[in-house]
Amino acid sequence: MNATTERVYLVDDEPAVLKALSRLLRSAGLEAVAFGSPEEFLARVDPDAEGCVVLDVAMPGLDGLALQEALVSRGIALPTLFLTGHGDVPQSVRAMKGGAVDFLTKPVDDAVFLRAVREALERGRSGRTDREESARIRSRLATLTPREREVLEGVVAGRLNKQIGGELGIAEKTVKVHRGRVMEKMEARSVAELVRMADRAGLRRA
Amino acid sequence: MSWTTVLWSMDAAACLTLATIHLVIGLRRRAPANLLFALMAVSAAVMAALELFLMHSPVPEVHAGIVRWAHAVFFVLFLSLVFFVRTYFRAGRTWLLWTVVVVRGVSVALNFLIDPNLNYVRITGVRPLRFLGETIYLTEGVFSERTRIAQLSSLLLLIYLIDAARTVWRRGDRRRAVLIGSSTTIFVAVAAVHTALVMQAGLRSPYLISVAYLGVVAAMAYELTFDVIRSSELARRLQIADAELREGEQRMTLAAEAANAVLWHFDVERNEIWMSERGREIRGYGGGERIDFRRFQESVHPEDLEGFRAAVDAALRTGGEFEREYRVVRPDGETRWIAARGRVETGVGSGTRLRGISIDVTPRMLAQLESERQRSELTHLSRVTMLGELSGSLAHELNQPLTAILANAQAAERFLSQEGPDLDEVRAILADIVEEDKRAGEVIRRLRVLLKKGEVERQSLPLSEVVRDALELMRSDLVNRGVTLTAELPPDLPAAVGDRVQIQQVVLNLVANACDAMEVLEPRDRRLNVRAEAANGCLRVSVADCGPGLPAGVVERVFDPFFTTKTHGMGLGLAVCRTIVAAHGGELGAAGNAGGGATFHFTLPAGGGGAA
Repeated sequence: MNATTERVYLVDDEPAVLKALSRLLRSAGLEAVAFGSPEEFLARVDPDAEGCVVLDVAMPGLDGLALQEALVSRGIALPTLFLTGHGDVPQSVRAMKGGAVDFLTKPVDDAVFLRAVREALERGRSGRTDREESARIRSRLATLTPREREVLEGVVAGRLNKQIGGELGIAEKTVKVHRGRVMEKMEARSVAELVRMADRAGLRRA
Repeated sequence: MSWTTVLWSMDAAACLTLATIHLVIGLRRRAPANLLFALMAVSAAVMAALELFLMHSPVPEVHAGIVRWAHAVFFVLFLSLVFFVRTYFRAGRTWLLWTVVVVRGVSVALNFLIDPNLNYVRITGVRPLRFLGETIYLTEGVFSERTRIAQLSSLLLLIYLIDAARTVWRRGDRRRAVLIGSSTTIFVAVAAVHTALVMQAGLRSPYLISVAYLGVVAAMAYELTFDVIRSSELARRLQIADAELREGEQRMTLAAEAANAVLWHFDVERNEIWMSERGREIRGYGGGERIDFRRFQESVHPEDLEGFRAAVDAALRTGGEFEREYRVVRPDGETRWIAARGRVETGVGSGTRLRGISIDVTPRMLAQLESERQRSELTHLSRVTMLGELSGSLAHELNQPLTAILANAQAAERFLSQEGPDLDEVRAILADIVEEDKRAGEVIRRLRVLLKKGEVERQSLPLSEVVRDALELMRSDLVNRGVTLTAELPPDLPAAVGDRVQIQQVVLNLVANACDAMEVLEPRDRRLNVRAEAANGCLRVSVADCGPGLPAGVVERVFDPFFTTKTHGMGLGLAVCRTIVAAHGGELGAAGNAGGGATFHFTLPAGGGGAA
């Protein structure tokens, strides 16, 4: 949340480009950290880092797209921006599907570049807010008893109290009591909010 | 007619005949030896006549006169003999010669001072004698001791002749030595001894001086005639040889002309060039014009002149072979290609000559130039096609510096618009911009070199650098294809001789093929090794991939034109590469690797010396 911990991670095998882009970011008041290779970046990046990543697509060894996948698989949720010498369509589609913020062609104009970086940072920030909320929800979920959880699942599945009671083999009245406890523990003001929370916690997908 | 008259007349006639012959020869050839001989023979003839008169005269006064004049004639005979030996045999001591002449001269002088003559104090009369069936008259008188001086001169003459014979013998000319040493000396000795016996010992015989000297004359005439015969034989042989030579030359010229060739020779000492008619025609020389080396060079194409001269100089200096192809500009401006071959001859007498044959090879050269032009066209086309395929990579190579430049420049703008800008930072940025701009320029330079369609240049090349330059152009392409490159390019290789562009073309082609071959592999397995090395006196560049390798039956065909295993491509790349490498005097080959994949390599002759 705090702007001082927010960094732009640059990964490019071309030292001159790396240096120039770092300067451009600094000139715009952003903090840049440069890495000469994807491997170096993976080895040194803090999993809890905040900010965004600017990746060159074509690099020896691990290329930009592979690096993006590696980040996702490690649960590093940094928004990614791609730079490429010659952007071809299949590459850009793959990048965007992988969650890239943008796919820019070199040489890149400062306005376009900085706008994209800021957007990525913004997305990083909002992503962080989302993640914090999810964490809150998960901690509330953890306070539920198994029975309460079963009731919650029935509620978010859109079933009536009577149906839930029938499924669980308990009285409709008991279901109601559990439901009130769930609403209370989850700090939900309405069923709709509860459903949204369950969604965010991934409960419905499970 | 009496026998004495017949014999002495024949003697005189023989001498006169020989004298006439050698007088003619002597005058015509300006040969003093022959003239001296003629004089000697004439003297001998006169001597014979005097003897004949003496024999047939019963008058003592006539005898006294004849003896006196005989001395004069004999003096001439003497002189001509000693000088003949001197000039003809080039022998006889000078001091001895003059001693003979002086002593004889003194005797002749005394002969004319004393009455009646040198031989006698007084002539008392004549005595008849039956000789050869007739009566002849012998001189009777008181013998003079002064005659000894004449006898001394005869002795000196003998010594002179023997000494001369010895010199000739030592010189190794045995035949002539025997001739002077035996015949001449014997006849001279016989004459001297016989005369002495007649005068002093009262031998009843007529003088036989002329008869004895006929022997000397005959011996010398034999020698001279031998010479004449020999020289005429020599002349005849020379004539035959000359005729044969001319015929041989005619035959050669005929053969040469049938083969469209020109025969020529260059006489270095006389600075004269001879060539058969066709050669003169091409160069527009007039019929009888004398051609020297300078005149000849006027016809040589100015661009070829230096090389031509150097080749002639080298041949003359080493005395070896001459071989050169050069252009001749005809008077009408047309250019013909001439291939000349020759050899230096250093014959005895004729001096140094460069002799050879030339052929007009214009049609062949034109065809060759045309095929070279076509080859260069194809090579260029293939290069352009290949660069077209690499264009993405090349664009990327240019993009990198351009990206850096733009980002740097815009960063600088932003820094400068800030309050209290960091000028050191801006300076560093400008320095980087300059650096990157140069890098972009370098990429363009490499590209331009490869796209250039120019003359093939043979020069000494640092092979490692040339290969590295080519690899630099492919760098982005290799990265894009995920190919890991290892290059072993030692900087201390000997220089290669060749055309930079074409060698790079071959490297690019081989690397591009290797990358294509590895398309089927996972990117992390795509490994490429490029190495340059010196081996067996030549330079070798190998490109090894780890692709699927070359299936059996493909190795032999990969270099054939229009053969390809790719889905795209014309199948010309390797065929063109092989042509290029062959034109450099090297070889292009392919082989499978033990651990999978294929290695393509080419060799180039080393140019000697270290690379710069």
